Amino acid sequence: MSLLELFLTFVKIGAILLGGGYVILPILQNEFVDKKNIITQDELVNYFALSQSLPGIVAANISMFIGYKLQGKTGAIIALSGIIFVPFWSIVILATVLNNIINVPIVQNFMWGIEIAVMTLILLTTREMWQQADKNAFFYIIFILSLAALLILKLSPIQVILCISVVGILIKIISRRFNK
Amino acid sequence: MILFTLAAEFFKIGFFSFGGGYATIPFLYHLSEIYSWYTLEELTQMIAIAAITPGPVGINVATYAGLQAHGIIGSLVATIFEVIPSFVLVIIISKILKEYRTNFYVKSIIETLKPISCALLLFVFIGLLKSNLHDYEGLLLLAVLVLISLKSKKDPIFYMIIAGTAGIILPLFS
Repeated sequence: MSLLELFLTFVKIGAILLGGGYVILPILQNEFVDKKNIITQDELVNYFALSQSLPGIVAANISMFIGYKLQGKTGAIIALSGIIFVPFWSIVILATVLNNIINVPIVQNFMWGIEIAVMTLILLTTREMWQQADKNAFFYIIFILSLAALLILKLSPIQVILCISVVGILIKIISRRFNK
Repeated sequence: MILFTLAAEFFKIGFFSFGGGYATIPFLYHLSEIYSWYTLEELTQMIAIAAITPGPVGINVATYAGLQAHGIIGSLVATIFEVIPSFVLVIIISKILKEYRTNFYVKSIIETLKPISCALLLFVFIGLLKSNLHDYEGLLLLAVLVLISLKSKKDPIFYMIIAGTAGIILPLFS
């Protein structure tokens, strides 16, 4: 697969990627496993699991894994540039339009509702993450510690991640010692 | 100077955010408190547009935040720097695929990051609840949307159309 073909394939995927990053898995399956047959099913599933266990954006991560597999570092950069191409320009255009009409009363009223829709989405995402997690004692301890660090100590998200991760890893190390 | 700050902040977000498209929002929420790039109200607009535009939400919202901070150059810088950390990690990890996933420390960090991500997002929700809702219509609409979501899973755009329309119609009756 040439670099141009790789780029265009990811431009197409970026343009049809609606409703969050997870939709990307069936799309990639269709493009690279079923149609082009250059990535195996196992590889794709493996890349997806890895992408979720890495920091950053899942859809971007998995695109880079595929790009890297097919064309090395350049491939990873090309895949990433492709997937963000249409979204990037859509955002620039939509944001510019919105910034120009935001003071119109009817738009203001519409945005009042949108804010509440966004709050709902954030709550739903939290619930989804909560449901997908293994809820053992460890989960609850870390969850409550994090919430306390945010609400009471007023730490920033990065400070919370750094401090609480250390606590979490210590707990894991200690409980591994006990289990031995 | 603002471009350097923007690059540094989004590099950090790319490195520390974990767990899907909405995972970057707690960081963007924090940025709205420490810089004047966008207000909290603008952040909710940014999330809304990011969610209904094609592409990964986490990237879209970074593009938008960069645009608010420093125009098109800003959005390029924010987008690129947000993905640099995972680019480097993808290159490294592609070479050590198997060892990575079974490593004890990697597994421990991932297991710790899940409850932290839940807490971070819940914290954003609480913050938005405190700053956005001064009227009972808003609370009522939120309750209705949450109730609908309990019945069946809907697309983000569904909630936006319902809520946006309610925002236009409700003032007509008051």
